[in-house]
Parts: sequence; structure tokens; C-alpha cells
Amino acid sequence: MSIGKFLVRRILQGVFVIWGVVTILFGLRAVSPGDPATLMLGEGATQELVEHVREEEGLNEPIYAQYVDYLQGLVVGDFGYSWQSNRDVEAMVIERVPATVELAVAATIVAVLIAVPLGVISATRRNQPTDYGATLFSLLGISTPNFWLGLMLILVFGVWFGIPHPTLETSPASLAGISVPYPRSVGYSFFDFPTGRRAVGFSEAFVAVVRDRSFSELGVWLQYIALPAITLGTYFTALITRLTRSGMIDELGKPYVTATRAKGLPAVLIRYKHVLRNTMIPIVTVLGLQMGTLMGGAVITETVFNWPGLGLRLIDALHMRDWPLMQGIIVFIAVAFVVINIVVDGLYTYLNPQVSDE
Amino acid sequence: MISERVKSNLKGTFSESILPKIGLFLLVSIVFMAVFAPVLATHDPTRTGYFTEHGTEYPPIGHEFTTQVAQEGEFAEVTVESSSEHVLGTNNVGQDVYSRFVYGARVSILVAIMATTLALLIGVPVGLTAGYYGGRVDDALMRIADTMLAFPALVLALALIGVFGESPVQVPDPIVMAGFADGMPETIPLPGTVTIVSALVIWVWFARVARGEALSLRNQEYVKASKSFGMSDRQILLKHVLPNSLTPIIVLATIQVAVIILLEASLAYLGFSGTTLSWGYEIERGQDILRTRPWVSILPGIGIMLAVISVNLLGDWFRDALDPNIEGSERGA
Amino acid sequence: MSEDIIRIRDLSTRFFTAEGQVNAVSDLELTIERGEVFGIVGESGSGKSVTALSVMDLVESPGEITGGSIEYRNPAFADAIRDTHPDAVDGELVDLLAIPRETRQSLRGTSFSMVFQDPESSFNPTLTVGEQLAEAVEVQRRASANPRSTRARTNRSRYSLGSYVLSTVLPSQRYVTDESRNRAVELLELVGIPDPVERADEYPYEYSGGMLQRAMIAQALAGEPDVLIADEPTTALDVTIQAQILDLLSDLQEETGMTILLITHNLGVVAWMCDRVGVMYAGEIVERGQLEDVFDRPTHPYTKGLLGSVPDLEGAGGRLQPIPGNVPSLLDREMPDRCYFADRCPKAMDECLEHPPEFDVEGSDEHAAKCYLAEVEYTESRALPADYFELKDASETDERPVAADDEEPHRTGSGTGQETETTPAGDGSTSGSGGDSE
Repeated sequence: MSIGKFLVRRILQGVFVIWGVVTILFGLRAVSPGDPATLMLGEGATQELVEHVREEEGLNEPIYAQYVDYLQGLVVGDFGYSWQSNRDVEAMVIERVPATVELAVAATIVAVLIAVPLGVISATRRNQPTDYGATLFSLLGISTPNFWLGLMLILVFGVWFGIPHPTLETSPASLAGISVPYPRSVGYSFFDFPTGRRAVGFSEAFVAVVRDRSFSELGVWLQYIALPAITLGTYFTALITRLTRSGMIDELGKPYVTATRAKGLPAVLIRYKHVLRNTMIPIVTVLGLQMGTLMGGAVITETVFNWPGLGLRLIDALHMRDWPLMQGIIVFIAVAFVVINIVVDGLYTYLNPQVSDE
Repeated sequence: MISERVKSNLKGTFSESILPKIGLFLLVSIVFMAVFAPVLATHDPTRTGYFTEHGTEYPPIGHEFTTQVAQEGEFAEVTVESSSEHVLGTNNVGQDVYSRFVYGARVSILVAIMATTLALLIGVPVGLTAGYYGGRVDDALMRIADTMLAFPALVLALALIGVFGESPVQVPDPIVMAGFADGMPETIPLPGTVTIVSALVIWVWFARVARGEALSLRNQEYVKASKSFGMSDRQILLKHVLPNSLTPIIVLATIQVAVIILLEASLAYLGFSGTTLSWGYEIERGQDILRTRPWVSILPGIGIMLAVISVNLLGDWFRDALDPNIEGSERGA
Repeated sequence: MSEDIIRIRDLSTRFFTAEGQVNAVSDLELTIERGEVFGIVGESGSGKSVTALSVMDLVESPGEITGGSIEYRNPAFADAIRDTHPDAVDGELVDLLAIPRETRQSLRGTSFSMVFQDPESSFNPTLTVGEQLAEAVEVQRRASANPRSTRARTNRSRYSLGSYVLSTVLPSQRYVTDESRNRAVELLELVGIPDPVERADEYPYEYSGGMLQRAMIAQALAGEPDVLIADEPTTALDVTIQAQILDLLSDLQEETGMTILLITHNLGVVAWMCDRVGVMYAGEIVERGQLEDVFDRPTHPYTKGLLGSVPDLEGAGGRLQPIPGNVPSLLDREMPDRCYFADRCPKAMDECLEHPPEFDVEGSDEHAAKCYLAEVEYTESRALPADYFELKDASETDERPVAADDEEPHRTGSGTGQETETTPAGDGSTSGSGGDSE
């Protein structure tokens, strides 16, 4: 099958999946308890006002009409209005995307940079101290709940070692020292709530480096993102280490490796050009499927560190029962998942000649 | 079903490495703790108000901490000593941390086992049927599976909980009812929605694996032969296909138990679980006082970690011994 | 005839597995002469492939060469080694087991190369055949680009991780060059692959089994080796293709004059190809000599048994006569201090229970066998009772039940193609119940 045909088929499948996600969410919203108009207006609203809003929003229409309306809106990129803030859902989603992408990408980069070499060393030095260490690390890594890991990082680095860290400095809990009801987060919010903007994002830091040759913004950004990225990345580091190790061991046992050794090829080439490459091909697809886990992890990590991304907004929307916002965020995540997996499948097909030819 | 060969493989892998032994020991300990929680606990885990004379939490034994308390309108610094009553201290509403730790195992283990069973009951029949018959049923299943996978497990669970509410179910405690542990709560709150939602989130994995097995088994000679003898499809599914696809399903089930323990803890941490007697919830409760009373959050985290490690070690053991080579076996919460 | 190119003395290769030590190759003696085709023949599990891997230095953990010497005649190599390792050099011969591993490995591809049994699994599925051949060419090119000085041989400049990482960005840093690619196409043409230019860019799965085996032979020739080791080169192929591959090998051997060590269980292949032959059993060569000597006048009852088990289509009584019993266990603790074949031997006598016998004649060219029958006549009176070993086995299994089923799972995965050889006796003799043996 040609790449073009393959892409068309995968994209059609993807559209179908997105439609499924949208429909399921719409169904859930339809059966969920609570009257949207009341949720929008708050408990104290008069009956008249509620009725007016119901009419205005089309909530008195039959359910299939509402569904068609909603689908029509989505097709042209209109996700509706947030019940809570009355803002455009698209805007509320888009403004939070960079923070989540930065976090996810940083975590993935950290994971791949640590895990692949660790897995290779572990596999090539089996049953040696390095291997035991890597195995223990990956077992702990996949078994540790990441919200707890985040808290422990804050505790160890911020409190015990006393390393000044922006997520700790002005944490309400650390200032007061006694328990009083606080917003549900330990982290210090380093973004401006009213505008929804962070003090420093990667783009700002990047611009500062390129244009002004100033690295201080980048430093600040790194300081902010370090702990959240480690928190989110640990599970993936552990997972990729495990996958690389076991995949590499499998691959090293295959006859072609002996044959390649027999022809006298340098060990480096056998290990990387042949074995590691072939090991990574299936791992890439596993990682594509793991993107869902990464997004779930991002929700938690953002909550722990008050990281102003999509996940934090999703939790807010859930607490407020703000269905349009919730739907918008989940649909966005699903689209991202589908797109990433199409890319990953394309990559797999590209790397694995046999598949691309069948 | 479980053949001699499988048994001897399991035995061989078990004796070869120390890891499965650690896993089994941990799991047995945690299950023991969960079952006999009322007997092992020293205090009613739901009772609040165990505070020191200064009105603060107790630190764990062997620890003390200093804090500022209001005395006659002024702040004064006092040193808070531990008490032998509360081995692991108390939390910010004055509950005994050790007793809550013990009870936390119950919720974790029960939810994980019930949700996995439920997911098995949904996923395996659906997967086997789809794989065995193929065609439209199969296509439909695969599309549904793709759609479910596009939701991050946690996000889907959150959305479902948003719909169904958080309804905890009060389950009577047989040990307390039988009178073996006085002063312990007679019922424990199980997060009912979380259990069902977890099952709804992970059944797809079972369906996929069962489908794959059925798909390859239906082309086996002995299945074709049975068909030619006039065996009905139902009989073939039950007698040939199901028993022969059990191995990968068991391995997957073990791994999914770990996934659910983490999922339940995450939901409880985010405050969507509905039960207050859970390791995840306890961690959330302790995070506001993390700087000065870290023990409240540390201990339940260790509980979760040990439970997940034990299940993962068993999963690795099964996988090494049975080598089912299934997809989706490397999947976390 | 001509001079010897490889001289193996007392070679022992052991595998240290969970069940114990496996003596895959024991005290093996073998001399191969320049330009000849030497055949090693034996049942699977007799240690043939491990012998080949030992020569190539491809024995992997848990396997290890534990003793003996492998001497290789190469004047230039001997000169290069003499300064640093005088002990390893004897005239033009270099003992490969006495020089550093790195140096020994530099001989792969350029001095020794190997053709494997299953071409489909012996090529990397994700690289084109041309690329893989070009790699082999490049090994040779780089080795000969450096003058064969001591430095070049013992401390060969290695392709480093740094240059590999660079090669992902800079094409000039790639290991394979256009020159080696072109040579790869020539090689494909040499082994009779049509449209070599196009086929070089195809992946292994696009080749048929026979074509791929031709490509593997081309790859083995890339380094212009002195010795080509062919390990069951035709076993995985269709019968019609087998003949073509063997023809190809003979033609190439005639053209280049290289030495071939041919390993097979197929007596027909041996008869067709080989000048001399060694019969392997339980990790040692039990009979060796010129092809005609061994095949027409076998001494060892095992050789006779093997020859008897070939259906003779021309002969009148063309009946297959299998050798009774199974290949013996190579587990050290299960290897008795007697002739290893005695329990299956139709002519076992009292002497056979004493020690494993030695060759009756020294000298590589001679027809020799490790069997008492080579020296003494078979006498009915000294023969062992027919059920001698059955009774013995029965009493042993009662006392010491062998951990039967455990054997197999551990060994799988440890191997790189040598599983079949290291597994003592396949499944039958050790893991089967007592009833298997007859």
C-alpha cells in the first residue's frame, strides 16, 4: 500500500474515532444530572431567567437537534461557551495548550534521553550491578503514583535540602505552617490568573535567547519545569527502560545478530545500527498508545504543581460541572492522541519496510 | 486449562529469581493487612480529634517537631512530642495514621480485584465472540476499542464520574460484625463508582487480547475439526477457545490490577473517589501540611507503591513463565 | 597434499546452564587443509555448529571455550602477532585462543566467514540486502586499507559510537560507502542473482529462500576469506534449490581456491561436496579420513549406523535402518566415563565401558576412528547383554529422578542459533520418560 493510501485510511479511521469520542461525551452530558441552565446561572437564579436561558441555548430542543447543532459547531471549530466563565471554549483550550505541550515534551525528552541508554546498558551488561540498578529503578518507576512522587520531590528538594524552588517559595502551606483550608495545590502559581498567562513560557525564553542572547529567562523556565517534568517523566523513563531492555535482549538473541557478528562488523554498528534500531521500531508504537497515559499523567502533575495547562483546567471544569469546557478539552486531547498515533504509525511503516509494502 | 507445562514453567521461573518471591510475600502481606484490618488497627480510622495538648497532630514515634501555636493572643513556639498511642502519628483532622494506613489497603485491594473481575466479565466474552465470528461484529468492536483508547484512562474515568456521581457504597465489615474487633467501624465505604468506572475503562484491553486469541484459535485444526463434528459455536467457544486463551488473559489481568490500584489512588487524590478511607485521599489530605508534617502523605504513598510493586512483580513472573506476548501488557494508569 | 590451514587440538566448549555444565564440544581434534572441502557430519545435538562457532569465536554466554587450541596458518598474521604475543605464534601458525579477543575478532569476515542455516533469519529484516552486503565489503576494505602491521591487526581503529552518531547527520561519516555498495552489487551478480542493481535495494523478505542463501554466500565472500564455514547451508531450502546452492559453492571454491568447512547432517551433501570428512558424535569427532575411506570402509559402528540410515535408492534392500536410541545427553553430570556410543552400539563390548576411546591412528590424513573395534576384532563372547543399558537406566532413574521438564524453558532464549546444538539430545533422552529409549 502506498503511503498516501495508508494516510487516507488512517485519517478516516481517526475521524471516526473522534466522532465516537464526541458522541460518547455528548451522551454522557445528556444523561448527567443537573440542569445546564441552572449550572450556568448559579443556584439563586429566578425561574424566568432559567427558562429564558434554556430557550436561548436551545436546551428545549429535542436531544438529536442539540446533537446535530453541537456537531455542526465542532466542524467549524466552534466548541460553544463555557458555562462558568461564558468565554469561548476554543480560546480557553488553546491558551492552555503550550504549557501542557511543554510539560509533555520535556518529560518525553528526559525519558528518552535517560531510558534508551539505560536500557541498552542494562541489556548488554545483563546480571551486572548496572543491570540490577536499572531493573530496580524501572520497577520503582512504573509502580510509583506520580502525584505522590511530585509531592516527595517537593519535600526532598524544597524542604529537606532547602533548595529554593519557585514551586515552593510562596506556597501558602509552607508560609503558614499550620493547616488551614487552602486551594488544592501545594505549588506556587507562577502565572497570572486573570489573564491566564504564565510569567515565562518556553517561547518567551527561546525568543530571549535568540534575540537578546539572554539566558536568564531560559533559566527561570528550566527551574519551573524541572520538577514537573521529572514527575511526569519518571513513569515513562521506567517504562522505556524496561521495554528497551527486554526488546534488546530479544533482539540480541536473533540469528541475524550472530550472522552480523560473523561478518566482522564493529560492535558499535551491530549494537546501534542493527539491534537498537530494530528494538525501537515496536517500542515507538507502544509509546504512541501510551500518549493517553501521558495525558492522564499530565492532569495529575499539573494539579500537584499548579501547572497552568489543559489538565488543571479540565479538573476545574469537572469540579464546576462545566460540560462544554470539559467536552472541549477531552475532544482536544482525543484529537491530539489520534494525530500522534497516525504520525507514529507512519513512522513505524517508514521504519519497517515489510509493513509498508504489504 | 492450566497445563502441567505451565505449572512447571511457573515453578522454574519462581525458583530462579528472587523477584517473584518478594512480589508474592508483599502481596500476601498486603492482602492479610486488608482482610484483618479491624484487628490490626489500633484506633477507629474514621474517628477524628486525636490531637496533642497544643491542638496539633502527633508525630510518628521517635520524631518531634516544633510549631507555632497561639497562646494568650500571642504565637509561641512549642515542641510537639510523639505518643505511644499513635505509632505513626495523626493527620490534620486528628485521625490515627497507622489505622488509616491499614484500612487503606482494603479499599485499594477490593477495588482492584472487583474492577478487574468486572472488566474480565465484560471484555473476555465480547472479545472472544468478536474474534471467533469475525466480520461486522469484529469491525464494530475494533472501532469501539479504538475510540475508548483515544480517551486517557484517567480522563475517561473522570468524565464518567462526573456523570454518575461519586456514590460510595457502605459495605458491612464481617470481622467487626462477628465481634472480633470492638470499636471499629461496622461498615467501610467502598468507592462504587470508581470500581465500575475502572472496569469500563480497562475492559477494552481484555477484549482486544481475547479477540486476538480467538482469531488465531479459530483457524486451528482442532477447532475446525470440532466444527465438522457438529459442535455448536457456543460449545467450541467454551470448550476450546476460552481455555486456550486463558494464559494471556491471566497475565493481562495481573498487570491491570496494578493499573487500577494506581487509577483508584489518582482519583481519590483528585477528590473524585467518594471514599475518604483511601491511600490516595490521605496523600491529598497531607499535602497542605507537607512541609511540617510530611508523615501524613509519605506513608500512604509507600502503601500504594508496595501494592503496585507486588502486583507488577507477579505480573513479570507470569509473563516470563508463560510468555504470552500480548500487546497492552505494558500499560500504566 | 597441501599444508594445513586450521589445526584444532583438544578443543572444549562448554555451556554453563542452570541445569549444569553442558559439554557441547569435548577434546575435539581437527585439521583442515588449504583448499579442501572438509565435511563435519553428525546428528543434531552432536556439537557440529558449536565447533563452527568456536572457530569463528561466536560462542556466547553461557557458552565458553574452556580449553585447547585453534591454530590458523597465515604468515602475514603471524608476523603481525609475533612481537606482542610470541607464545601464540609457532612458525606461520597462530594459536587463536592465545591472542586477545579483539585481535581474534578482527579475523572475522576477512579470514573466516560463515554461511548460516536459515537465510531468512540471518539477515536483518529492516535493512536492504545490498546495504548488509556493503557492510561486509566495508569490513574487508577497511582492514586491507591499513597495512597489515601489528598495529592494524592488534589495535585496529574501531568504528566508534561518536562516528555512528555523527553519521546520522553527516552522510560522509557513514560506515558504508558508494564503493562498497557497488562491490555489493558485483557480488550479487557473482552468485547468480538476476538484476543485481535492483535487487540490492530490496529487503530480505522480498527474496526467495534460495536467492537469499545466494546473497548470504555473496556476503560471506565479501571479505575474500581464507576459510568459509557453511553451517547446514542447504537444510532450510527446497530440494531443487539445495542442488543449485551446492553447485554454486563448488564453483566458487574452484574459482577462488578457498577452504570450505561444511557442516551438515546430510550424508548426500557430504558425498557430493567433500574431500575429507569427520563424523561427530557427542561433542567429539569419532571417525575421520578421506571421504572414500570413511564412506566405503567405515570403522566406527556409529558411522556404519549413519550410513545405514540413508535410504539407498539404487540398492536392492533400500531400507532405512535408524540407529536405535537417542542422541546422548551432553550434560556433564550425565556423561558416563565410557564410550558415549556404547548404549546405542550394536557391538558394544566390555572394553567400551572403561574409558572413552582414543583415535587409533595419529596424523590428519589418515583414516582414524575413536573405537576399540579399530584395534580389536568384535568378539561375541565379550559383548554386553542386549538389555544392559536399559536395566542400568531403569535403576538410575529410580534413584535420581532427573528434573525433566525444567530443562527446556531455560535454554530457549539463551542462544543464538546454537540452541539446537546445546540442548542435550533434543527432548528425547533427558526429558522423556524411560519408555522413550526403545
